[in-house]
Amino acid sequence: MIVCIAVVGHQSFTEADDALKLHHIVHCSLDVIDERVNNPKKTGSTLNETYLGLLYPTENYKVYGYLTNTKVKFILVTTHLDVRDADVRNFFRRFHSAYVDAVSNPFHVPGKKITSQTFAERVSTIVKSFGLSSAV
Amino acid sequence: MGREVSESCVDNLMIEMVSAYCNRFYSTKPELAARRIEAIGYQVGHQLSERYTMERPRFSDHLEAIKFICKDFWAELFKKQIDNLKTNHRGTFVLQDNRFQWLTRMSIDPSPANADLSQDSSGETAENRAVQITSMHLYFPCGIIRGALSNLGIPCAVSVDTSNLPACSFVVRIKA
Repeated sequence: MIVCIAVVGHQSFTEADDALKLHHIVHCSLDVIDERVNNPKKTGSTLNETYLGLLYPTENYKVYGYLTNTKVKFILVTTHLDVRDADVRNFFRRFHSAYVDAVSNPFHVPGKKITSQTFAERVSTIVKSFGLSSAV
Repeated sequence: MGREVSESCVDNLMIEMVSAYCNRFYSTKPELAARRIEAIGYQVGHQLSERYTMERPRFSDHLEAIKFICKDFWAELFKKQIDNLKTNHRGTFVLQDNRFQWLTRMSIDPSPANADLSQDSSGETAENRAVQITSMHLYFPCGIIRGALSNLGIPCAVSVDTSNLPACSFVVRIKA
């Protein structure tokens, strides 16, 4: 089950159950992403990056990161134990597509929270289908 | 996904936008009109770069990003690539388009009624005005380039050189 998805550009937009704890996790993973970005390995300079295994002391969470060309980071926190790499990549691809459409809104101010209803609906569709496909 | 609009609609919208800002909104202050048009271009470039860099791996340096602008980005916008790219390897790039799409349908009206205002150098004034009007139309693409590069993490200043139309050269100076 996906617990939280965060879009971090300059400000963050999160959709979460337990806001404070997840904010903490998201901030830690941001540090890891920065570390990875600043020490690039020559073979690893690709669009997607997966970070597995950030285990929270009391519960098991997996945190995935995705960095776009425009330095916007997507962070996914999930409680799924056996999630496949391909599923996560697929999820991020669809999420990126929804994000681009939301940002192309001429009334959207870059840097502020995304307030589009359509975006929220698309994201919940993507989240639901992620859960179903991994349940096989 | 995505509905499409005919190209002539976009052309007409561009022309009307420049005309509205220059003649109606800021008719007494052409510099302000130019800045507003460039700012609109900045936002458009920002959003377009988000969309067109979706499937691509990240750029390793500034040159890669400029090449992306010259090839893929320009091809998405104008169905052709930039014809010539020059650099001085110190942060200045010149992107030359030999037949810039939004200028191809422009013709300058050389009517003598407008030139009567200054008798002495009317030829020159008409020439200057032609250059001025054309450069108004080029603020928008300058803004697009600046917005796209800023979104890729490269702050810069973009100006345009129109010494021989319909070819135009965009000069990009990266702020170190």
